[in-house]
Amino acid sequence: MLRRGFQAAVILGHHGTLPGATHLLPRFNPASAFGSSMESLVSRFCQEMKKSKNYALPNASWGPDMLSLYHEFLEKTKTSGWVRVPSFRSNRDHIQGFKLPLDLSANSDKSDWRLFTRCIEREGQGYEYVIFFQPSEKKSICLFQPGPYLEGVPGFVHGGSLAALIDETFSKTAYLSGEGLLTVNFNIRFKNLIPLGSLAVLNVNVEKIEDQKMYLSCVTQSRDQQTVYAKASGTFLQMHLEEDSSRQ
Amino acid sequence: MLRSCTAGLRSIWALRGRREGAPRLSMDLQPARRLFSTEKVIHKDWALPNPSWSKDLKLLFDQFMKKCEDGSWERLPSYKRRSTQESEDFKTYFLDPKLVEEERLSQAQLFTRGFEDGLGFEYVIFKNNDEKRTVCLFQGGPYLQGVPGLLHGGAMATMIDIALGSCTGGAVMTANLNINFKRPVPLCSVVVINSQLDKLEGRKLFLSCNVRSVDEKTLYSEATGLFIKLDPEKSST
Repeated sequence: MLRRGFQAAVILGHHGTLPGATHLLPRFNPASAFGSSMESLVSRFCQEMKKSKNYALPNASWGPDMLSLYHEFLEKTKTSGWVRVPSFRSNRDHIQGFKLPLDLSANSDKSDWRLFTRCIEREGQGYEYVIFFQPSEKKSICLFQPGPYLEGVPGFVHGGSLAALIDETFSKTAYLSGEGLLTVNFNIRFKNLIPLGSLAVLNVNVEKIEDQKMYLSCVTQSRDQQTVYAKASGTFLQMHLEEDSSRQ
Repeated sequence: MLRSCTAGLRSIWALRGRREGAPRLSMDLQPARRLFSTEKVIHKDWALPNPSWSKDLKLLFDQFMKKCEDGSWERLPSYKRRSTQESEDFKTYFLDPKLVEEERLSQAQLFTRGFEDGLGFEYVIFKNNDEKRTVCLFQGGPYLQGVPGLLHGGAMATMIDIALGSCTGGAVMTANLNINFKRPVPLCSVVVINSQLDKLEGRKLFLSCNVRSVDEKTLYSEATGLFIKLDPEKSST
């Protein structure tokens, strides 16, 4: 497992040092190669952090469509195993106590660094979204209400901003489904424009896991499914995060 | 739905294209016409150095500005908002007003130019008209993070969309993007996106680009895209 991890680091990293070389020796478990159970991934990833604001909660900018669908899924978290994925200003908050690959730890904790899809603070102006994950089916749903700062074509969502949210939803789904961490391929076909302020629903599925890679698909459509806005697919590389015994 | 917004939109799209820095076509508006009588504000051009630009970015910028001196290259300007005239034209020409909320329109701004200096996308595009290719210098700021310490894949996808689009002219829309990420980009570093038009088939534009480090030694990603020229002659449904 560690060797695979190092190989991944060598392929992907150009920093020169391998993880573990410059940090205190991690307590690693060779048996746990991508074998972290989904329950443990979900529970450690989805812990509510007392210090960090959770953005995956309703606020005054959410329209009635967004709110009603949110409540529908909140019910499902009680009855049919869905998990509401918390969302913090930085992905670092999800992985407290774990080391980042590729020797990034030294640079990664600057307090002004923000997750791209949570960088616009003002409620309702940028990305309003929440992701629900269904562990038994390795699938997610993301409810997305885009604000005026995401404009591309006048009155409509910028294609790049949608691509970014799809990549982000892929990323959370991939991690929770099996430690998928880095995007290696991303493909998107735009079909129709999303009007700013309306609700778009992203349906993400893990299609296949093979050779350390996870293959995901996404269909973005209107709530009534009458309009397909975009279809996308992505491939993620699985990378196991080591526990960091130097951080407590 | 796409048809409904293409009819009569040639002027809007040309203006939008200019907002993102599309080059002037010979039949374009004369410079004097851009200062409409109702418009007193001159739009800020964001594709220029500011204090947040790193040394690498400034150096490259200067190198390309030198290349512009003999006219073989040009720097594309980049604006944040539509002018008052553009908004008026938009209301006139856009044919499905029930999809558009007026209030939101007034607050809207181009996604990639909505950040304070240095926090989001810092970029400038230079175009070589003879060779139909562009070079985009991009510095991704601290608000574009994905995996801690790295540039978010989606932010890279946004820039690739913009860079590929800069090789097109007139009214276009992105149909497909396919991106292969080879190496992660460290946050706050500078990359160079080289884009070109590979093929033109009717209204379909096939483009490709690569994203490299400043010293060209690292290939971060390669991408292809399909853009469609909008036909303003098509009527609404």
